Amino acid sequence: MNDREHEAEFARLLEETRRLPRSIEPPRDLWPGIAARIRRRPAWRRWAALAAAAAVVLIVGRRILIGSSEGWAVARVDGAPRIGRTALVGTGRLRVGQVIVTDDSSRAEVQVGLIGRVEVLPGSELRLVAARPDAHRLALARGTIYAEVTAPPRLFVVETPSATAVDLGCAYTLEVDSTGASRLRVTAGYVELVWGDRRSIVPLGAMAVTRAGAGPGTPFVEDAPGALRDALTAFDFARGGGGAPAARTVLRAARAEDAVTLWHLVSRVDLSLRAAVYDRLAALVPPPSGTSRDAALRLDAPTLERYWQHIRRIQWRREILKGIRNIDPRTGRTR
Amino acid sequence: MPDLTDRVRRAQDGDETAFRELYDEHAGRIYALCLRLTGDAAAAQERTQDAFVRAWERLRSFRGDSAFGTWLHRLAVNVVLMERRGRSRRERRVTPASGEAVFEGASGGPPAPGERLDLEGAIAALPAGAREVFVLFDVEGYSHEEIAGMCGIAVGTSKAQLFRARRLLRGMLE
Repeated sequence: MNDREHEAEFARLLEETRRLPRSIEPPRDLWPGIAARIRRRPAWRRWAALAAAAAVVLIVGRRILIGSSEGWAVARVDGAPRIGRTALVGTGRLRVGQVIVTDDSSRAEVQVGLIGRVEVLPGSELRLVAARPDAHRLALARGTIYAEVTAPPRLFVVETPSATAVDLGCAYTLEVDSTGASRLRVTAGYVELVWGDRRSIVPLGAMAVTRAGAGPGTPFVEDAPGALRDALTAFDFARGGGGAPAARTVLRAARAEDAVTLWHLVSRVDLSLRAAVYDRLAALVPPPSGTSRDAALRLDAPTLERYWQHIRRIQWRREILKGIRNIDPRTGRTR
Repeated sequence: MPDLTDRVRRAQDGDETAFRELYDEHAGRIYALCLRLTGDAAAAQERTQDAFVRAWERLRSFRGDSAFGTWLHRLAVNVVLMERRGRSRRERRVTPASGEAVFEGASGGPPAPGERLDLEGAIAALPAGAREVFVLFDVEGYSHEEIAGMCGIAVGTSKAQLFRARRLLRGMLE
């Protein structure tokens, strides 16, 4: 789509927005519930509400004034989490360098500055590495966290023993086992996993595993066929490398829904297999117009990036419209 | 029929009938706002009730500097945003199962084929932060400065969320 078509589409969107009805009748009469509530509210509750509001103002003001110099707020959710050796009772602060530890029955929640939150699930060990407005960094040594961040990309980072997860505007679950291997599942936006020069981009509805010493494996969608997953594990992590046989198995098992995986493989397989991977990908999900096969096979970055954005968009529509629209995984359009 | 000012004044004096009349006049507008901000019909009904209860409690602070509808609208926005902030600390984000089902109760006649229903469903499917900014800016006409103040975010963040929302909507609707 060219700029003019984008502008026309944008204008159409705004026009449709302006035509939305200003008033929508509630599906039931809400007044009885309102009447019941306003009749039972004595005057003292107004004062209680005012007092609560004043307390909130004080707490928020203190938080803003003190900012990140005192680390991040943390709250016990369940059981007996610890900050270092100190039991966390109610709420506390996690300072840079400190570790929050949860046992098998404990959970805690960490406020990531002003940009999000992290749930620390049972059996976890999480260290605060940096807490600055331009760098929110944690290190997960073991266990599981659920992170939800609303911030520009790359402001929130979680280190693990086998990869670094860089937030690109999202929500995700990250598990690290006793060997340092990790498993990432993205539930909103997308996440970049980095280890040395190895990089995996995991979008909404996809997962990736990492292994100590090997870094991030090739991402795959959650409903990927078992044969494809097994072959990927062999390709990414088998001692000596699964190599061409594993890659060919992936190609055979892949569906249009697995374009995220195939796109990563284009640059990961040996040169001798690259054309086969690209052709399989292009057959399942035709590239956007103007994509040159030769440029893709040369691993031309802008070409691969354009193809990736096309694939990521289809994957996003497939996930976000699940149950609402029947999306064609080849094109991302409604069937 | 008494004018709005008279009704507001009577409601400020504790006249529940007058307040009921104000509810009847503004319920649809407030429900539409809550529905688009939350993307969830059940939550929108709760927030609509919360907004009117809050309005009843604060009626005495309404001095007529703006129209009652404007004051109520702003109060409802704050109710929704405050609830969302509190909830987001407690729960994981839940994407509505069906954006279309949310708008089954929409008035104003049947939707144009494939158009308004698509847009409403797509708005409901937006991530919460982007949805709020889109609804407040593009649908309700608030400025980025006002949105930043209400949502507790920077003006730049509001602009970024609007850009993101429009981009996502275009992607969903194309």
